[in-house]
Amino acid sequence: MADGLRQWRCRNCGFIYDEALGLPDEGIAPGTRFEDIPDDWYCPDCGTEKPDFDLLT
Amino acid sequence: MTLPRELAETIIDPKAYAQRDLADAAFRTIRATAPLDRAEPEGFNPFWVVSRHADIKDIERQPDLFHNGDRSTFLSDRTGEETNRALTGGEPNLIRSLVSVDGKEHRDLRGVVFPHVTPRAIKPLEDQIRVIAREFVDHMLSFGGECDFAVDVAFLYPLRVIMTVLGVPQEDEPFMLKLTQELFNNADPELNRARRELSREDMLKSLWETTMELEDYFASVTKRFRENPTDQINSLIANAKIDGQYLNHRQMMGYYIIAATAGHDTTSNTTGGAMWALAERPHLLARMKANPERISGFVEESIRWETPVKHFMRSAVADTEISGRAISAGDWLMLSYQSGNRDEAVWDDPFEFRIDRETNPQIAFGYGVHVCLGQHLARMEMRILWEELFARIGSVEMNGEGQRTISNFVCGPKHVPIRFTAQ
Repeated sequence: MADGLRQWRCRNCGFIYDEALGLPDEGIAPGTRFEDIPDDWYCPDCGTEKPDFDLLT
Repeated sequence: MTLPRELAETIIDPKAYAQRDLADAAFRTIRATAPLDRAEPEGFNPFWVVSRHADIKDIERQPDLFHNGDRSTFLSDRTGEETNRALTGGEPNLIRSLVSVDGKEHRDLRGVVFPHVTPRAIKPLEDQIRVIAREFVDHMLSFGGECDFAVDVAFLYPLRVIMTVLGVPQEDEPFMLKLTQELFNNADPELNRARRELSREDMLKSLWETTMELEDYFASVTKRFRENPTDQINSLIANAKIDGQYLNHRQMMGYYIIAATAGHDTTSNTTGGAMWALAERPHLLARMKANPERISGFVEESIRWETPVKHFMRSAVADTEISGRAISAGDWLMLSYQSGNRDEAVWDDPFEFRIDRETNPQIAFGYGVHVCLGQHLARMEMRILWEELFARIGSVEMNGEGQRTISNFVCGPKHVPIRFTAQ
């Protein structure tokens, strides 16, 4: 994991959003903070919305 | 090591799930003594029993290594596996649906409906579903204080919701309910096609006849929605194109069938199980009425509690390792969601029904890319029903013995006799 960048896991399917990698296929550049992803974004695997992602520590 | 024969025979026995304590006791022993071990019951090809929550998630998060569609997706005996291949021209499953395909085919098929069932996409349905929920609460109250909640409400409400979303006319609902019950409850003489106990051979024949009857029904659906497309799910399936081509016959029929059967039976089982839990715990209704903000906790716990899909099977694509056990390419694995959702390593009190769990990482919908497509709709329709129902009843208790379906696959309560008072 790059410095200060974090990973977030979908509570319903386990999909991991890695801030270092972003989601270029969805127009989210590498390095994009989870907080900076648009609020209407949802899990690409199951549709779960941002509030139901947990920070991986 | 191999699981003791008695445990292996219990966890495949449909009757053990009808008396849930039997299956739970077997899995409790398995989790404590042999949490990932091979079972070799008579007449079946060997398979691993994956009983722990963490191992199930580990496997489900590796869909390229553990396939759904290389072997039967649910437990079949040797004859069943052979018959499926003979009937389908070589495929391991009678029905080619989302749960039995992998990789690009799975992604493409899932993508047809997925954008239409996200939480945001289904939000506009809330008012329509609430109207349906109110109708069924009215229906329940019309019984004047006693009903069989499974038969009178739990089987019917999710059926109406999903048929509305799919675009199936209301007059076809009894037909869809009957065929769904035949498909999932083949071992139960009360619900199967023949309405009697069947030999394994007759079960396979019966399953094929039900599948063919469903295909006959859906053949006209494709024609209707191609001529007059709507925004309903069956129309999306009928008109979907992947790489410029309509879905092939087996993909399309599989999609219609899984949406029209698993789309309500699972929620029906969970709803019936939730009422059963409620009726056995007199304090719970009062608590829910006083704390309506707990409703999500109630719904999530009822999903964990009932876990309507008892298992799915996977097969290993390559040699690998899970929790230190060597799994070989081709090995078949039973993911027991019922066991995973009672795992003592995750829940301190897994055999308690509790609405105040801080977290409830239940895996009844599966996990990973194959997680249930309709999970958000299921949660929403259950929340709405309970919101309406809690506001309208003052008390509820069991009014006799409940009964569970005889099945080891998708099942739950088939009779939940209750006595209740209106608010």
